[in-house]
Amino acid sequence: MINKLLLLFAFILVGTSGLWAQSRAVTGKITSKEDGLGLPGVNVVVQGTTRGTTTDAEGNFKMDLAASDNALIVSFIGYKTQAIAIGSQTTFSIVMESEASQLQEVVVVGYGVQKKSDVTGAVANVKGEEMVKQPVLTATQAIQGKIAGIQVINSGQPGQSPQIRMRGVSTALAATTALFVVDGVLTDDISNINTSDIVDMNVLKDASAAAIYGSRGANGVIIITTRKGAPGKIKINYNNNIGFRQAANLVPMANSAEYANYVQAASGLIPPSSTYNTDWYSTILRNALEQTHNLSLSGGSDKSTYLFNVGYMNDNGIVIDNNFKRLTMRLNSDYKISDKVKLGLQTSYANSVNQNGFNNLDIDVNGNIGSVYNDAYRAAPIVPSIVNGKYGNTSVYQNVGNPLLDIKSNSVKVLGNRLQGSAYLDYKPVDWITLNTTFGADLNNSLNRLYNYQIIADNNTYVTPGGNQQNPLSSLNMKSTQTFRWVWNNTATIIKKIDKHEFTFLIGTTAEKYAQTFISAFRKNIPADPNLWYIGVGDANTSQNDGGGDAWARNSYLGRLNYSYEGKYLFTATLRRDGSSRLPIQNRWQSYPALGAAWVISNEKFMQNQNLFDFLKMRASYGKVGNDQIPTNAYTLTVALNQAYPFAGSGSTAVNGAQINQIIDPNITWEITEEYDLATEFGLLHNKLTGEINYYNKTVHNALINVPIPRTVGDADGLILTNAAGIQNKGLEVSLNWKDAINENFSYSIGGNATFNTNTVIALNGGQNILDGYVGNQGATTNTDIGHPVGSFYVLKQIGVFNSDLDAANYVDKNGVQIQPNAHAGDFKYLDAKGSGPIDINKDRVFMGSYQPKVYYGINGSIKYKNWDISLGIYGNAGNQVYNGKRGARYTGTDNIEKALVYNRWTPANLTQSQPAANGGNLPASSYFVESGSYVRINNVTIGYTFPATVLQRLKISSLRVFATSQNPYTYKKYSGFTAELPGGPTNSGIELSTYPTTRTVAVGVNVNF
Amino acid sequence: MKGRTTLIVKAKTIVVLAISLAVVSCDKNFLDVKVQGGETITTNPNLAQDLVTGVYSSLLQGDSWGNGDVHGFAFLSATSIASDDADKGSFAADQAATTGQFDTFTLTSTNTFCGTLWSGHYNGIGAANQALKALAVAAIPAATKNQLKGEVRFLRGYFYFNLVRFYGGVPLVMQVPKDAHDANTNPIYQTRADKAVVYDSIVRDLNFAISNLPLRSQSSVGHANKGAAQAMLAKVYMYLEQWDSVMSLTNKVIASGQYQLVTDYSVQFKQAGNNSSESVFELETGKFNNSNFGIANVTASQGPRVGGMGGWNDLGWGFNDPSLSLIGAYEPNDLRKNATIIFIDNSGLHKGTRLWDGFRIPSSDSVQNLFYNYKAYTSSVVPSKETYATPGDKDRPKNIPVLRYADVLLMNAEAAVHTGGDAATPLNLVRVRANLLPKGTVTLADVKQERRVELAMEEDRFWDLVRWGDAPAVLGSLGFVAGKNELLPIPAAQILLSNGKLTQNPGY
Repeated sequence: MINKLLLLFAFILVGTSGLWAQSRAVTGKITSKEDGLGLPGVNVVVQGTTRGTTTDAEGNFKMDLAASDNALIVSFIGYKTQAIAIGSQTTFSIVMESEASQLQEVVVVGYGVQKKSDVTGAVANVKGEEMVKQPVLTATQAIQGKIAGIQVINSGQPGQSPQIRMRGVSTALAATTALFVVDGVLTDDISNINTSDIVDMNVLKDASAAAIYGSRGANGVIIITTRKGAPGKIKINYNNNIGFRQAANLVPMANSAEYANYVQAASGLIPPSSTYNTDWYSTILRNALEQTHNLSLSGGSDKSTYLFNVGYMNDNGIVIDNNFKRLTMRLNSDYKISDKVKLGLQTSYANSVNQNGFNNLDIDVNGNIGSVYNDAYRAAPIVPSIVNGKYGNTSVYQNVGNPLLDIKSNSVKVLGNRLQGSAYLDYKPVDWITLNTTFGADLNNSLNRLYNYQIIADNNTYVTPGGNQQNPLSSLNMKSTQTFRWVWNNTATIIKKIDKHEFTFLIGTTAEKYAQTFISAFRKNIPADPNLWYIGVGDANTSQNDGGGDAWARNSYLGRLNYSYEGKYLFTATLRRDGSSRLPIQNRWQSYPALGAAWVISNEKFMQNQNLFDFLKMRASYGKVGNDQIPTNAYTLTVALNQAYPFAGSGSTAVNGAQINQIIDPNITWEITEEYDLATEFGLLHNKLTGEINYYNKTVHNALINVPIPRTVGDADGLILTNAAGIQNKGLEVSLNWKDAINENFSYSIGGNATFNTNTVIALNGGQNILDGYVGNQGATTNTDIGHPVGSFYVLKQIGVFNSDLDAANYVDKNGVQIQPNAHAGDFKYLDAKGSGPIDINKDRVFMGSYQPKVYYGINGSIKYKNWDISLGIYGNAGNQVYNGKRGARYTGTDNIEKALVYNRWTPANLTQSQPAANGGNLPASSYFVESGSYVRINNVTIGYTFPATVLQRLKISSLRVFATSQNPYTYKKYSGFTAELPGGPTNSGIELSTYPTTRTVAVGVNVNF
Repeated sequence: MKGRTTLIVKAKTIVVLAISLAVVSCDKNFLDVKVQGGETITTNPNLAQDLVTGVYSSLLQGDSWGNGDVHGFAFLSATSIASDDADKGSFAADQAATTGQFDTFTLTSTNTFCGTLWSGHYNGIGAANQALKALAVAAIPAATKNQLKGEVRFLRGYFYFNLVRFYGGVPLVMQVPKDAHDANTNPIYQTRADKAVVYDSIVRDLNFAISNLPLRSQSSVGHANKGAAQAMLAKVYMYLEQWDSVMSLTNKVIASGQYQLVTDYSVQFKQAGNNSSESVFELETGKFNNSNFGIANVTASQGPRVGGMGGWNDLGWGFNDPSLSLIGAYEPNDLRKNATIIFIDNSGLHKGTRLWDGFRIPSSDSVQNLFYNYKAYTSSVVPSKETYATPGDKDRPKNIPVLRYADVLLMNAEAAVHTGGDAATPLNLVRVRANLLPKGTVTLADVKQERRVELAMEEDRFWDLVRWGDAPAVLGSLGFVAGKNELLPIPAAQILLSNGKLTQNPGY
């Protein structure tokens, strides 16, 4: 009370010091900065009084001011509150900016929206404009480092979606990917969504928030809302960026002289002398042009709005002949039929062409594109790449494909057509009930085409004929896949406020169905003219075909109650009951409950007397989510068909047969994740500093996993899919953001977030560990075992190099048994972990860390000075290991060697203990190949200039910004390979074998509004 | 009034709500979506017969670097390259870690091929056990059923015979795992049975086959028959050194009149000689799905290799090359020498080597090695003199003789040497066919010599040397360690998986 009086007194003092004027009527108009339209319902109050008014439908207001009135306070939900000095003016033109503070944001929480301050679970939000700045394919690539708790693992390959891990690896089977919900349509892949169509992305991170998605929530949920038109005159936007990409980091390989020297040192053989000096990587890599264009039209009336956007992307890969093109079109429209009925339609079409991509290997049975990186690592520099149109014959010299020919001998093309959309109808019988029905559909057609050129290993193809890299008959392989899925949601939302109690109650049902069919065909002997690349052109006597399908259905019931008492005490209870056809009948239904509570301390009376915290909230939650992303037939024993035998011999046609060669677990069930979450959110110093600290502890008790079973049972692959593993992720997320405007010309922000995660396997059925991460002749390199992170490297520990044969002979165990009886000077010395010689490459292995970082973090900053804007994004991770698999897969003495290893190798004159003497490869899996995966990267730097409105008016342009941006300009890493960012499955990630390197991009662009 | 409106609204709302929520859930069968395109044991009316064919199919496993090998490159490595018949071939470093370890007797328990030979044979045994389970309940006439059972048990016996020769006593799996838990915990799958117990099971399987299979003339080509089962059992007894049984079984095969030596030894290793009168049991190959269908890499791995010299489109990888020791083993004028070995022209005259179908291999300056396995050659001229779905592939399918009548005769001769019978008659049939003079009295050494050259490169030599106890003397200089290298190491991954219940062979 005293404070308030003092405040009043202060205002009076300030007021009296101002100019004295007569009481007078003033008028004003308040518009939104975003679209320039009038804002209705804005509160306009004279500072220090209760006198005020609100704006009308056009955003106009009228009021009387007393002579003593000093300033107007304008406020509106979702916008920044402003104090406007009154001075002597009688008309006001006030522009309101939407609230920057995250705490006031509205977030989409699944089947509804909530103010972020009211949320009791862990959710995060990224704005579309944040993402569209970056020259990337999908929005998920652009959120790397922006949100605590989400690890994004990018591939440098055009058209490739990144891998997302939310709060650690919580499954051992393939589906670690978060669920995407695009305008209500559930999907696993958003590569068809143009980033510039996205308004915002909301991420449901913990089980209590994701429980509304039940069995789809275990890996987190990312909800994408696409743009809509706004009432008003038509607005036209065009934006683009055009740039160059190049490989961000290369590994220098030995040149011919260094190679000859090394091979001779390793084997005593002198390689044939050669005038060539081929740098194979520069043969297959290039600087690639990338461009993106977007043109959108939007507008509407108070009855209907529309948005139309066309986007085009053309991304050349840094590998020659690689290219990705995508055309997207979107039409979103909304109609207000009456005050009670609203309906709308969101539709998008995407057409993509991926040429010679590495990830299309399901058709690439004969193609060599996938092996080009490994071949470029191993191919000898003494062989030419191509001379007068004839290829150097690496395979004849060293049994490695010519990397250039690996690419040139194939054409792999994937055409995609995807139509995705949803329609909704909202009906409000009374103002506190909203009934919604939404039907979403997703139709995806793809056509994969692989053509293998005829390669005859003769004088016309090669400088030197012979070798194994040949293909006597050309062949064509086509595969057409059609996927259709629909989802139908029906919900009822009841919002009631009774005194200080506010209830939001949601109930609903969803049904989802999925069907996929593929047909493939194959023929040989088709001419090299691409106009003839159709199955009918080939030799009918070589026809082969295949086909198959998949289908599943899900059905769910959901309910959620939000309760708020005075915005101080918040409570959420969620229950979803899910049924899935993918599970056996006895396990078909499962309930996913969640509870959350929060206390907004800053809304308490006792907090009114402090001015440190503008906002302070504590929250705690618990929830269960599941994962049913397993092969549809996992619980059904099927017969392996086409196990034929040609009884008559002599080239006769085989009689068809069958085998039962799988052991299945008929009791497969959902993976259930339980998660506890404890957090505080705060805003300090007028919300200049905001932040969130979050502790989580989530456990999967029955993770599905392929467990090896004894080969003696006759299972075709020796693996069985079962609910075997328990996996725990515990961690802390911290994010802090500072935002300040020094004056109207200069504002800046800096934010950082870090996630500390500990992943541990806490249970395996019967203690069965899983060996995976196979590398060439080394065999398995990872072990998933109790007490260690999933997919930990499990190899011999290299503890030095023998400096002499005598050293090696003297390396004995306690009983005097030689530990490495065949070792010589210059060979690696391995730890005798089991304590008795000789070394056993299976029993002497030790755990050497995992690909999962102990911490990953992002730093994001921005500066606005006058018309200039600069932004910077940094991402890094630390505490993880990677496996230099390509080095491990070097297995003959004629394989090339990294330049650094030529010079750093052990020699009698250089008694290094970390590198072996020159050798012919084929080293056993050891800690030598395990390297630190820690890296820090500047993800994006952008500088932009917005032209002043005065300049643009004459051109009838409402705004114009030009910018230059660089994606991945700089990476600091310890790893000696191409990139430490190595996607993979849960038990075989972090292994660099044939990896597309990350790329660096420099681009310029323009964003213009008419 | 206001209260009533609200009530009506409420009622309306509830109705709409109830309808919208009910629409989706009313269909009880909504979640009953069947597996698409996956045939189950109840949807195949010919399951039992199909599964029997599937057991034969598992003979053709050649996934040497992957899931299983029965007669592929791993089998070649363990039987032929490991013996004094053949050198590894190709160039020194090529496949040094896999087949190279067999050649130099430096095998480790993580050798990929030791793993795939293990899994391949057990895949076959698993297919056999599944087929027997399905046959037990199949609605087919008893006679047909017993014959099918006989074929399956013949094949199972053969798989175990290979396993016991490779690894010694192995887990004796004669059942289908009930479920995953059974597969993981039942000690049957992870405990090695005594070698004698495994042999006993093989004998029982083969005896069942003998009783239930018809003679060759009454059975379909390519299927196991009575003669094949008798010959196979004779061979098993030979390894058990039960010479009376070898004698009586081989006598039965000889007396059956179903078999005779072909005149031209070499024809047996061409398509023209598939299933000849001399063939007792062979692995059949042909085409399937318009593709070559055989054992992966058998032909390609043994094809003559250009190896950096240039000049021609070579035939393969150049492995399993006949050794100087084998070449020296032939007597003068033995027709089998030139039928077994491709001699690369090393005369300096650059005439090259003309093969039976007219294909010319260039001389030694364009070829990696000097000797190649003729028995693995498939007609490579264009157009091919043999029938292939895709003749352009290097890896053309090739039938592999498992039991030839000549083998039966030599078993008979060896048993006769031990039991004091007439060894000369059977032995001389084989010698005369090869253009050699008959022997008067026959010693064990004569039989050993004759087996070596008659069955050269036919994947029997290594086991013969071990059986005779000659391996240390003959292979010692190549690195063979007595008491260790008679057997392969049990795959390390399987030992690891069994938590040590599966024990390792001595020396590994």
